[in-house]
Amino acid sequence: MGEVALKPISVNPFKLSQPMGATLAFLGVKGCMPLMHGAQGCASFTKVFFTRHFNEPIAIQTTAVNDITAVFDGGEYGVGTAVENITKKITPSLIGLYSTGLTEAKGDDLRGAASKVESPIVWVNTPDFEGGFESGWSLTIKAMIEQLVEEKSDIEARKAVIIPNVSMSALEVEKLKEFLSDMGFLRVFALPDISTSLDGYLGEKQGQMSSGGIEMEYLTALADSELVITVGMSVKECGEALKAKNTLINHLHFDSLGGLVNTDNFVESLMDMGYVANERIKRWRARLQDAMLDTHFVIGKHCFLIALEADNARSIADALSEAGAKIERIVLPQKVQSGLETYKNVTQGDLEDISKVLTDIDVIVTNEHGKSIAQLNSKSLLLRGFPIFEALGHSLKSDILYEGSAQLLFETANLIEVGHK
Amino acid sequence: MLARSTIKELYNESSCSHNKEKKTTCEKPKPGATAGGCAFEGAQISLFPFADCAHIVHSPATCVNASWETRQTKTTWGGTDMTQMGFTTDITAHDLIFGADKKLRDSVDYVMKHYSPSAIFIYSTCVTAMTGEDIDAVARDKEKEFGVPMITVHAPGFIGGKNFGSRVAGEAVLEQVIGRREPEYTTPYDINLIGEYNVTGDMWQYVSILEKIGIRVLSSFSGDGRIEKLMTAHRAKLNVLVCAKSLVTMARKMNEKWGIPWISVSFYGKRDTTNAIMEIVKAFNDEALTKRALEVIAEEEKACDENLIPYKALFHGKKAVLNTGGNKSWSFVSALQDLGLDVVATAINKATEDDIEKAREYIGTNGELMKVPGVDQPRVIKERGAHILLAGGRSLYTALKNKIAFVDVNQEKKISYGGYGGLLNFAKDVADALQNPVFQIASKDAPWAK
Repeated sequence: MGEVALKPISVNPFKLSQPMGATLAFLGVKGCMPLMHGAQGCASFTKVFFTRHFNEPIAIQTTAVNDITAVFDGGEYGVGTAVENITKKITPSLIGLYSTGLTEAKGDDLRGAASKVESPIVWVNTPDFEGGFESGWSLTIKAMIEQLVEEKSDIEARKAVIIPNVSMSALEVEKLKEFLSDMGFLRVFALPDISTSLDGYLGEKQGQMSSGGIEMEYLTALADSELVITVGMSVKECGEALKAKNTLINHLHFDSLGGLVNTDNFVESLMDMGYVANERIKRWRARLQDAMLDTHFVIGKHCFLIALEADNARSIADALSEAGAKIERIVLPQKVQSGLETYKNVTQGDLEDISKVLTDIDVIVTNEHGKSIAQLNSKSLLLRGFPIFEALGHSLKSDILYEGSAQLLFETANLIEVGHK
Repeated sequence: MLARSTIKELYNESSCSHNKEKKTTCEKPKPGATAGGCAFEGAQISLFPFADCAHIVHSPATCVNASWETRQTKTTWGGTDMTQMGFTTDITAHDLIFGADKKLRDSVDYVMKHYSPSAIFIYSTCVTAMTGEDIDAVARDKEKEFGVPMITVHAPGFIGGKNFGSRVAGEAVLEQVIGRREPEYTTPYDINLIGEYNVTGDMWQYVSILEKIGIRVLSSFSGDGRIEKLMTAHRAKLNVLVCAKSLVTMARKMNEKWGIPWISVSFYGKRDTTNAIMEIVKAFNDEALTKRALEVIAEEEKACDENLIPYKALFHGKKAVLNTGGNKSWSFVSALQDLGLDVVATAINKATEDDIEKAREYIGTNGELMKVPGVDQPRVIKERGAHILLAGGRSLYTALKNKIAFVDVNQEKKISYGGYGGLLNFAKDVADALQNPVFQIASKDAPWAK
């Protein structure tokens, strides 16, 4: 990790908060109602942000802390009343209770408040003055595992559970599930599973709770999985948490599934367990090889700056660099402990910092806030991350495994080519 | 800090229609049953359009990071458009424990050095208000140091909803900005626009018309606004509130302090635009001005009618159902009627008493005011044989199920619907929706469902 930018203020930030990461994690559980314990604005900003990003209605409620409850309530009243009001209208399968900067600063007892609620509930501390998008997501997954998953002492063969990182798209989660089926697994789950909740589909009715995701009965029974796979540095610990429910579970961790080498390693690990790649997987590997060779003329000549969440940055950097992309700089919204050592100029920063280091950069990989910077400096922009407001269809894009990596290389090469004409 | 008496007063605005009969506070959010933004968001919406000012938000990650560069509030400001930027002190656990006073001071220095704004607005939020960060002291010192206005806005989200935050913003400029300077010159026809944020350039649809008549916009709060001009706002002859009930407090106080009368208008649709202009003109009680206004309006209406001719046949006899909130619940009725559509129902569950009154007036005795649109909407569409539903994204399925056209009116709009010119944009969008086959095809039964 490089030097932290020496400035007191964050200008044009792309760091997202812990409660926002928690929200997304809860939206991957079917019938869940995320309940943010804070002033109404935290939930409202989050709702509007994700509604525009996903182009879908987003289920979320708030304890709506006001001037009086901010001082006199320790959380019990706000949480209790909120649950009462929610369950008057609907019956969520789960209430996902999480805190914000306000309620953590005043020291509310979330566990205590949750213990007085009769509906199924999970609680997690996610102040927005600590951590960020990735940690909010992973803390929530850990809380769900610790508080909901039943301990087991036996294993169901050929049952696997994937724990994705917060930046994985709906299609990436789905492709990974399919990949495991193609390798011979019979039952594959994802925790959380946004591939059936935030994938952008026309449902029968737009519900007030999370419309898709892993069902509670499967969530609670995850501890007899033969294998748990964690994808991304931020969720590694979640795999360990699940293993704590049953020591017989195998835990495979991958910092990234972007590109050929990472996917090869993934397949090898599964082969070691006795699983076999089918024809589809083999075919896509051959297509990726071809894609790498087809695109390396273009990609190999260009310099990239990536400004994304750490796990997303790593995955995309891995895939692009295999075709020769010069990854000149990676800017992260948060400090990370490890995982990006192979890359140079990895720093923590904001989008103001980025605009100052673009001299040798051809392609910026970042979210929609990067648009004006890219235009102003005549750079190509590969849109990834959060938020993406204008561009459509990003939930149904994959950048991982053999297939997604090939698509990413083509998209990148085409973007550069078009930009240069 | 905001004084207790100020907070109380802002909660109990005497000019609100719900306070005519009995005193009730404007809003108290219900845990678990609350939608909509907080006071900070309201303050942000009201003040961020000042593109010549930096807006430093003393907050942790959610407040600004999720909300900057999300509103298309256009400006003609030639410098860095700070409307589309986010500045936050990004409070951490360390700051919480040891205080973030120095961080805020350094932040002001940084912004002054790199962006040299005309003024800086400093916002407190839930966490920094809770821990008692003294933003007033910082502002006072820094204003002295740089000679640039430093305006504090005490808008922690927990003190109320969006409307309340707008009031807090109004209070901030009343106390700290307005009256600090005299205008270079005045005219007898100077007005302030209040509550017009120039989203997608709405105000540019009608300001040029006002100018043609001879009315000058002295200052704007805050669409395409400049802080220097706002300082002179106390010399205006009239305050014009544009669809902004939340800012009646500001107008009332300016009336009490400087004797400026105020009116409330809307610029959506042909009739309302004309009404708005005439209301403004009437307030000046000037024969020559009125004459000029009538001439200009006649010209504009004629051009507007001509532009709408191609749509006449398409819209004739088409029935619309409207489901939106606030002033849109009637202003869109008016606009749709101007286009020649028959509005058979509008939702009033998210409207104030004033709004409901107006909606009734526009929609007539034949139209229905929907109290529970979730239930009423599908029924009304069937009963009346509606052709188009204008609503938020949640209602899309209702439209598809009934195989009628749909316009998402709650989505961030990309193009202005304001004034005479905006009505044409609206006509195009409604026409496109009515003619698009997508609603018929996308709602087709699947082969396996037949």
